[in-house]
Amino acid sequence: MWKSIVYKEWLKIRWFLIGYTVLGLLGIGYLFLTVKHGFTFSGGKNFWYGILFLGQQYFSYLKYVPILGGLAIAIAQYFPETINKRIKLVFHLPVKENSVLLMMHGFGFGSLLLSYCLIFLVFLGFSAHYFPYEIVMAASITMLPWFLAGFTAYFIVALVVMEPMWLYRVLYALSGGFFITFYVKSALAGAYAPANPGLLVLTVLLSIALIFSAYRFRKGEM
Amino acid sequence: MERISRYILVLVTIVTASIVLPGLYWMAFEKPINAPFVMYSCINDDFMIIRSGVFSDKKGNKYSREEYEQKLPFMNYRQLMVAETMPDTIKGVAIDMHELSRTKSFYRFKPDEMQAPKPALYPLLESESGRASLEMPDDFFRITWRMEFINAENNTILEEKSRMFSAVLYHKGFQFPARMISGLPTTRKSCDEGYFVVDASYQLYHIKMIKGNPYIHKIELPEGLKFKNIGCVDFRDKEFYAYLFSDKNEIYVIQQDTYDLVKLPVEGFVPEICELSIWGDLFNYNAIFKSEGQIKDVVLDRKFKKVDEFNETWLKKEERFEGKAFSSLFPAQLSLDDKNSSFISFYFQKSKGFNWLIVNLVLVLVHLGILRNRKAKYKKHLADLVIIAVTGIFGFIAVNFFPNKFFD
Repeated sequence: MWKSIVYKEWLKIRWFLIGYTVLGLLGIGYLFLTVKHGFTFSGGKNFWYGILFLGQQYFSYLKYVPILGGLAIAIAQYFPETINKRIKLVFHLPVKENSVLLMMHGFGFGSLLLSYCLIFLVFLGFSAHYFPYEIVMAASITMLPWFLAGFTAYFIVALVVMEPMWLYRVLYALSGGFFITFYVKSALAGAYAPANPGLLVLTVLLSIALIFSAYRFRKGEM
Repeated sequence: MERISRYILVLVTIVTASIVLPGLYWMAFEKPINAPFVMYSCINDDFMIIRSGVFSDKKGNKYSREEYEQKLPFMNYRQLMVAETMPDTIKGVAIDMHELSRTKSFYRFKPDEMQAPKPALYPLLESESGRASLEMPDDFFRITWRMEFINAENNTILEEKSRMFSAVLYHKGFQFPARMISGLPTTRKSCDEGYFVVDASYQLYHIKMIKGNPYIHKIELPEGLKFKNIGCVDFRDKEFYAYLFSDKNEIYVIQQDTYDLVKLPVEGFVPEICELSIWGDLFNYNAIFKSEGQIKDVVLDRKFKKVDEFNETWLKKEERFEGKAFSSLFPAQLSLDDKNSSFISFYFQKSKGFNWLIVNLVLVLVHLGILRNRKAKYKKHLADLVIIAVTGIFGFIAVNFFPNKFFD
């Protein structure tokens, strides 16, 4: 049963996941092509100087990449479930409704996590080649909320798509949309360090937000 | 589980609303404060003030723009030269433009410079290269368990140079790692004086590189003196290296070559919340610091003895009408940024007083009305009512964005 559910989820998101991951990796490739070009033409010391003292962020291209991933996977996974209310079939399976939902959600989250890990590890590898620990660390602190924003986008879109009433969809999207902006404020590299634990906790909490709108869906709110 | 997921959504929406709504409120209603610009005049030994375009002195005498400029000849000397009204002597001292230029200085500090992520890697320039211009080195240093130089071209550690500097630091009693590294990491300065470094035991060191070799000087500090910020300067008179702020909010200067520390008789400066500007001229220093509701100008002579002081306060944002209206509407505000810090964090500020309780209670009644219309059982909505009573409009929005009809 569980295997079949996982397979169903995989069928829905596979091309989105693979396509997004490939595009993300190509984005990293482009990013470090610009870094290499900068090193060649300006010299390493000037490139480092720009990062350390002029506030330049060599990784700024990646700011909205995780959010795009979260949106893509959430839409791929949950939008088909709303067509003709297909999700009802899932709720008729001989397993607890919330367990199935969390399984689906966990699979989507896990897939996204894998994709992000791959993208981030490749980023870290290239960064460690060009830059010392301090610059890489500041970049990681800055990028962590961007990836958290990706997960949050996934959770919020799932919540919105599963909500049966349009009015509440709009309200959830409004609240969620404002909330996501908190992860992507303009800031110096490393400035998010004090906010990251709080944002991490809120993101983890939001992981079960879907349960609420799915419950409303199940109970037939119109 | 459904209930938990709902309360998580309510919590997230309260957080969102308590950041967004106060932000919108202040964007709509905040008014700028016309803080006066104050400077001590060596002509009439009084403070000259510009307030909303009106020029006056501390006693309230009004001046034209030209008269005002003549009272502050060092700040406006270029204009006075054009107008041919620059005095030949001031206080019996013949005015020599070279001397005037040599003694003029300006230093500016903002709290968000101190409360900010620091680079942790710095370039150590050659202080006596024999070249006319300073040159940026190919390597940057860090001071962690030792002083390490890293070549930026290939991201590798320069072992020999790292060992040489680390050994000298070790022999001078440096306690690794460094707490603070402060200098002017630029080639756009008159000369290089390296860095002032506070070690793990709050000892202060001057580190620079002379002809490829380490120059490291341990500066003797009075017992218990700890610095939390060092602002290095490059003034033409070369009288001191830096302005230093102690953990007791005192301001010191460290004198060139002798490394003598001089404490400035300036009180009330809190670097976490005050902007500071220090203007130096032939006779005086004006240490002007400004916080949300206060400006203070402490005038010192060239030997850093206090000459006079100007102090003015005004109502803070929260004490003005728009602030009081805010306190009546919202119980608190959350913000991700703070004007005194470059860090992003959850800055929480409770509203002054308890007027907001009235709005909160009205919102509780409105919510009770909504429940009545829905024929809901009040008992099952107690938690929501408490949330609204405590968080006011933020909670009201949150519980109605995510209604708990199904839990009735």
